[in-house]
Amino acid sequence: MRGVERLTPYITSALSLIPIAAIIALTSLIAYHGLGGLSWRFISSSILRGGVYEAVIGTLLLFSGATAIATPLGVLAAIYLVEYAPRSWLTELVERAVENLAGVPSILYGLFGFTLFSKLLGFGISLLSGWLTLACMMLPIIVRSSQEALRMVPKSIREASLALGASKWTTITRCVLPAAAPGIATGVILGVCRVAGETAAILLTSCFYTMRGLPRSPLDPVLSLTYYLYILIVAKAGDTPLEVIFALALLLFLLIVALNSTALILRFRYRGVKRW
Amino acid sequence: MVRIKIQTNSLNVWYGDNHVLQDVKLAIPERHITAIIGPSGCGKTTLLKSLNRMVELIEGARVEGRVLLDGRDIYDSDMDPAELRRRVGMVFQKPNPLPMSIYDNVAYGLRVRGIDDRVVLDEAVEEALERAGLWSEVKERLRDSAFNLSIGQQQRLCIARALAVGPDVLLLDEPCSSLDPISTRRIESLLTRLKNDLTLVIVTHNLQQARRIADYTAFLYMGRLVEMAPTEEIFEKPREELTRNYIEGRFG
Repeated sequence: MRGVERLTPYITSALSLIPIAAIIALTSLIAYHGLGGLSWRFISSSILRGGVYEAVIGTLLLFSGATAIATPLGVLAAIYLVEYAPRSWLTELVERAVENLAGVPSILYGLFGFTLFSKLLGFGISLLSGWLTLACMMLPIIVRSSQEALRMVPKSIREASLALGASKWTTITRCVLPAAAPGIATGVILGVCRVAGETAAILLTSCFYTMRGLPRSPLDPVLSLTYYLYILIVAKAGDTPLEVIFALALLLFLLIVALNSTALILRFRYRGVKRW
Repeated sequence: MVRIKIQTNSLNVWYGDNHVLQDVKLAIPERHITAIIGPSGCGKTTLLKSLNRMVELIEGARVEGRVLLDGRDIYDSDMDPAELRRRVGMVFQKPNPLPMSIYDNVAYGLRVRGIDDRVVLDEAVEEALERAGLWSEVKERLRDSAFNLSIGQQQRLCIARALAVGPDVLLLDEPCSSLDPISTRRIESLLTRLKNDLTLVIVTHNLQQARRIADYTAFLYMGRLVEMAPTEEIFEKPREELTRNYIEGRFG
């Protein structure tokens, strides 16, 4: 036993190197193969001329639309749950459900979106169906983190506002929400991260392999970086240079890293500031 | 004879099954300082919070009985709690500035009433800070965060903020308990000045403080009002044995 005790620090530190090594390996693999092909030309020229322009724009369209739909809904739901909902089994159930929804595999969201938005509501394989499906995926994350951010706002701030004759809603919009904003913003970015790398859900609801050009309306299909990468790997494996595939992978990787870092920076910047 | 500003009649408050205030009958004289004293957990803060319906924000709280402000029951269904709280302001135990600038803190109560006129706000902010004795200390940095002030200044800011909406009554819940002696003295002399045009009710743990500033003192024990009298009488010749024991520090 004594021996194991003495070895523990070495074993644990050795084990902790594994994830670090994995990250380094992954990053260097993608960078090694991808750096050569990644250029402004590659990003800004059409897929018909060997670029990824439509996929970049498509990804940005998918994100921003889904975020614009999910953020207000998620924040309002969190406000209801934290500030208004009575403590009851129903509230408890809703909160548990939200927690579990965050872990549902994305292919199920894809299937759900396809059934409901594409077929039942008749939006077809389109940007709109993609927005709604991705918004559903982001919702649980935004609701959860907004709830946490709202709960972090001390009761004394609400009391101060109410004691000055502000209504409950005014107190929420003028005091509680601004105080919780950094936490909510972090949650939104984490929500975007969740869908940024998403393939399965949009594969079923919003992308067509034969899509050319940019969508002209929300009812048009769209290309995304993840989906295009998937196509290049699976369907056109033979006739796409490896360099192009890895350049695309690197672009996607950098995008996710940038998003995650933004969330991290936001979190740290506001943790240090004493606000109450 | 002094005029009665607030009168409670058989006021009962429960938190769930816990009966925290029992049949409290209390008359608060206008433009005087009334102190509420008593051991921890005796219901002092609850009593204070039932005078501006802040008690309703506590989960599971139930209020019965009447609280008359200028003869009108504040628990009437047509009484708007927000409107009531503009007339009956409150200062809390721990200074709780809002996460905004000094100026915005003082202007807050007016802004939520829809007053946005720059000139009106500037004037009101200056006047409120002046009355709270804080103007000369902060006039150069009104745009600074309220959290940059010292704790004592923060508490005077909270008083200024409450004064800005023009209340008739100010409720203070142990306003000096987190302050040093110098800040405490400052607040005490401020309160003594304010009673010229305001009715003040202060909950305090500090018997010396009650003695120094209160005109009347109410002694609360286990949710019941034991007695209320001019401060001198409470401290010199209390009617109840219980009050004497408490004043003399035999329990607390």
